[in-house]
Amino acid sequence: MPDPLMALSVAAGLLALTAVFLWPERGIWARWQHTRHINERVQSEDALKHIYKCEMKGRRPTLESIAGVIHANLDNTAELLSDMESNKLVSILDGEIHLTPAGREAALHIIRAHRLWERYLAEETGFEEAEWHGRAERLEHALTPAQVDELANQLGNPAYDPHGDPIPTATGQLVSHGGQPLTKLPLDTPGRIVHLEDEPAIVYAQLVAEGLYPDMPVRIIEISDERVRFWANGDEHLLAPMLAANISVVAEPVTAQEIEEPLSPDNDTLNRLPIGQVAEVVGIANRCRGAERRRFMDLGILPGTQIRAEMRSPSGDPTAYIIRDALIALRQEQANMIHIRLPQPEGQR
Amino acid sequence: MTTDNLTSTDILKTAEALRWQIGRDFHDRLMEDIYTDAARLADRAVTRPDEKPRFDLDRTIDRIVTSRTWGFPLMILLFTIVFWITIVGANYPSQFLSSILIDKGVPFLHGIANAIGLPTWLSGFVINGMYLATAWVVSVMLPPMAIFFPLFTLLEDFGYLPRVAFNLDNIFHKSGAHGKQALSMMMGFGCNAAGVVATRVIDSPRERLIAIITNNFALCNGRWPTQILIATVFIGGLVPAYLAGIISALAVVGIAMLGVVLSFVVSWSLSRTVLRGEVSTFSLELPPYRPPQVLRTIYTSLIDRTIYVLWRAIVFALPAGAAIWLIANITIGGTSLAEYLVNFLNPLGILIGLNGVILLAYVVAIPANEIVIPTVLMLTVLMTGVNAGAGAGVMFNAQSTSDYMSLFTAGGWTLLTAVNLMLFSLIHNPCSTTIYTIYKETGDKKWTAVAALLPLAMGFIVTFFVAQIWRLFAG
Amino acid sequence: MNDKKTIQSSVSNLQSPAAAGCTTCPAHNAGNLLKLGVDMTDWDYVVALAGNPNTGKSTVFNALTGLRQHTGNWPGKTVTRAEGGFSYGDNRFKIVDLPGTYSLLSTSLDEEVARDFILFGQPDVTIIVVDATRLERNLNLALQVLEITDRAVICLNLIDEARRHGITVDERRLARDLGVPVVPTAARQGEGLDALLQAVSEVATGQTVCKPHRVKSESTAIQTAVETLVAQIQEAFPGVPNARWVALRLLDGDERLADAIRSGELGDLRRQEPEAKQDLVIHLEPV
Repeated sequence: MPDPLMALSVAAGLLALTAVFLWPERGIWARWQHTRHINERVQSEDALKHIYKCEMKGRRPTLESIAGVIHANLDNTAELLSDMESNKLVSILDGEIHLTPAGREAALHIIRAHRLWERYLAEETGFEEAEWHGRAERLEHALTPAQVDELANQLGNPAYDPHGDPIPTATGQLVSHGGQPLTKLPLDTPGRIVHLEDEPAIVYAQLVAEGLYPDMPVRIIEISDERVRFWANGDEHLLAPMLAANISVVAEPVTAQEIEEPLSPDNDTLNRLPIGQVAEVVGIANRCRGAERRRFMDLGILPGTQIRAEMRSPSGDPTAYIIRDALIALRQEQANMIHIRLPQPEGQR
Repeated sequence: MTTDNLTSTDILKTAEALRWQIGRDFHDRLMEDIYTDAARLADRAVTRPDEKPRFDLDRTIDRIVTSRTWGFPLMILLFTIVFWITIVGANYPSQFLSSILIDKGVPFLHGIANAIGLPTWLSGFVINGMYLATAWVVSVMLPPMAIFFPLFTLLEDFGYLPRVAFNLDNIFHKSGAHGKQALSMMMGFGCNAAGVVATRVIDSPRERLIAIITNNFALCNGRWPTQILIATVFIGGLVPAYLAGIISALAVVGIAMLGVVLSFVVSWSLSRTVLRGEVSTFSLELPPYRPPQVLRTIYTSLIDRTIYVLWRAIVFALPAGAAIWLIANITIGGTSLAEYLVNFLNPLGILIGLNGVILLAYVVAIPANEIVIPTVLMLTVLMTGVNAGAGAGVMFNAQSTSDYMSLFTAGGWTLLTAVNLMLFSLIHNPCSTTIYTIYKETGDKKWTAVAALLPLAMGFIVTFFVAQIWRLFAG
Repeated sequence: MNDKKTIQSSVSNLQSPAAAGCTTCPAHNAGNLLKLGVDMTDWDYVVALAGNPNTGKSTVFNALTGLRQHTGNWPGKTVTRAEGGFSYGDNRFKIVDLPGTYSLLSTSLDEEVARDFILFGQPDVTIIVVDATRLERNLNLALQVLEITDRAVICLNLIDEARRHGITVDERRLARDLGVPVVPTAARQGEGLDALLQAVSEVATGQTVCKPHRVKSESTAIQTAVETLVAQIQEAFPGVPNARWVALRLLDGDERLADAIRSGELGDLRRQEPEAKQDLVIHLEPV
């Protein structure tokens, strides 16, 4: 029989080693898997995507900007670009970098894969919204065009990604969202958000934190070099113009109803409804996607539905609501995504 | 009437183009339209009473069973009654079945075998091996199943179980699971395979997988006898006789509680690691209360369970019986296969505070936990040569606590062996019926492997650490 | 559609030929059914049983077949498909219990199973079990089923519970509005099952011809899109009984249906109805 102290320390050491090696996402194995994928192909694909996006925005991609995107030094980037040139993906003329038709097609393939993955992560998985982009960045390089098509089929051939960006079709067509930066929207003109730029991630996270979503009606109240003040989601928002430029909008007549009844401010969500009271549903928050959203609608939670808070679990959560005559328990975090209008004092509907 | 290929591509192209025009909220609009119509039609057809009835039975019951004061005590009381009826009620039919099928059945079959002149090895293989294991599983498992599940089903039919999920959801939510897991766990105390099937009511993929993987931590009916026996013989023996009953009962309940705690811990870690990306939704409908159809429930539940137990006994226990008999009777150079295996497993067994006999019993008893103790006894006799039991490869139960004690002492057991056996019995791979059921329910080899190997690895780690720390301090 | 429309009465959508009706022309698609795992040898008609969870669907199934499938007071019990059979009159009916779902438009496996069975198996009758005390929510599913098939019977179950709560449901009005027979039942007590069997048999044999209610979209954009697609589908696959549903699914991106269009499978799904009788009588009493 081994000495217990010895055995204990050996086993503890082994366990610690296993943990360090196999820990999900942060273990050595996971990291190695990750870096293994950062190879030349991935870098070239990321570069193509970057050049394509620059062209779409009318900016000029530079060696420096590409190096920043692919996390490489200038020498390696230059080498990569010359490889790409000899593969007829880009053409470099007088220091200007352009995509060849083949390069454009390849870029669209990557963008299609990226946006499909984001859609997949939003609809079919339980990952948080802030993780979609980062995960898609890694997943987009893994599939062949045929596999991407299969993914698209599985998702029901979606037309838009969860950020409101159109997904290029398999034949490489891309419908532009046709938006302009929020900063260009004239004062007091009703508009609608068509797109939130998801790069850089830190800016995107801030926009999401503001509660902004594609399809949301907006209206500028005040605009200056220092700040943009605007209405959206029934609330006033204040952003630096640089951030606001990451929001694309179209000027569009918003129906009177939508201006009167925006998705209510945060204090009017179902989780705030006191037990025994009835409220009317205004809408389901946009961040609620996929299976969860469809289930809400299947249960009959739609604009106009009357919901009564019936009883609370003795452990504090969930709460049971009467929805279309059925008693349904919803957790607080779910009820938080259902916007309601509290009953009028006069007792009107 | 012919299908023109060109036209069908056209249709799909049109559909694709139109989808860009109708926008992203198409599904939302569609549902709104349907519900608008549904509301209108229902409104035209349904007449409701002018005023709300003053007394609503459903809400009154709900107010009691989900009340802050009465909700939990009532729940504990109800389930205590269910378990009490099961344990007390199962005793007699179990003894009856055991005396018919084993005490009378085995000699009777041997009589027939002798009369028709069957060779000893064949009758031993068929009767002592295959028949005995099957009979054992039937007599241990059938009575509690036939009592526990109808009682559970009555509570289910009445509509009480969804309220249990409602009451307990917060605790499960905090460990990343679904309130309905409380029920599959409770079913697991009867039979893990049934518990795994019961997870079907969880409609969220992630929470369902969690419930399936952790169901094994609910101490099932096949493992209770092991716990009770070891606790009575070893733990009960530590204290004065008048305390023995209560202390050993507490030890068993403690193990069951440890199982519950472990299932929360494992749920928590699974939902935060490997299962993080699975889809998660929550919905729990609380149906109206309905008077249960007592006789029909008992009838269908009984029929279902009987068939299930018999199927399981034949498909899984019978081959295990054959294997047990074979390893004890096939000899190589005068030493039985079992002895080789026990000696091979012994170093590992000792390292984790068990022994080779127990490990081998767990290997051959993968199909059914019920036969672990009989196999352990048989193997102990085989290894030590103590004069007991009914021969090589014949499983048996000892007569009294002191008989067990003398057998275990001969096998070199200590208090550590007993404690670790209780722990290992709780934390090891599910039985093969459950593994098979998990595969059928998930349809996925990966999750089946996780569900089978994760508890096994945990079992080895826990018993190892207990053994080493025990030896460090106790000598 | 067909010329039957012209004889529709404005009083009632339920028609019944005075004569015995055509008993030799089942509408189901035996080939597709076999692919879906339902063998129709020895059976005259196939009946699908759809409904929300917890509406007593399994109780209805057991009551009709005498099978002892366990039913629980749990939403969503039937995951695997149960089958059984019964005979009524001279005909033998095979009945298939579909998974209980709240909807047919989502992506869960259960809903896919139910959806594909009704669409491609073309059951002779689909019984939609609805909870009389929660009609509005149950009609959500019923309306979706009626988009796919026009051979349906509504089983207005739990009528005893509704009575206990003082709720009355005007089943004649509902039948007229929905355009299919509506039979009130209390399956646990065995109440109304004979009438249900009769209604099922009449729809199966074509004695009752249904003209189900179809949902109309309020959004003009969707309406235009659907109409455009429906026109194309009807041109390519004349006689498809549920072009509108096919259009809706295509707009929702249902790949299974896109496949059916590509392969021409959709063309096999034809309205197979008994010949219209000249001497139609108006059936004012829904069973």
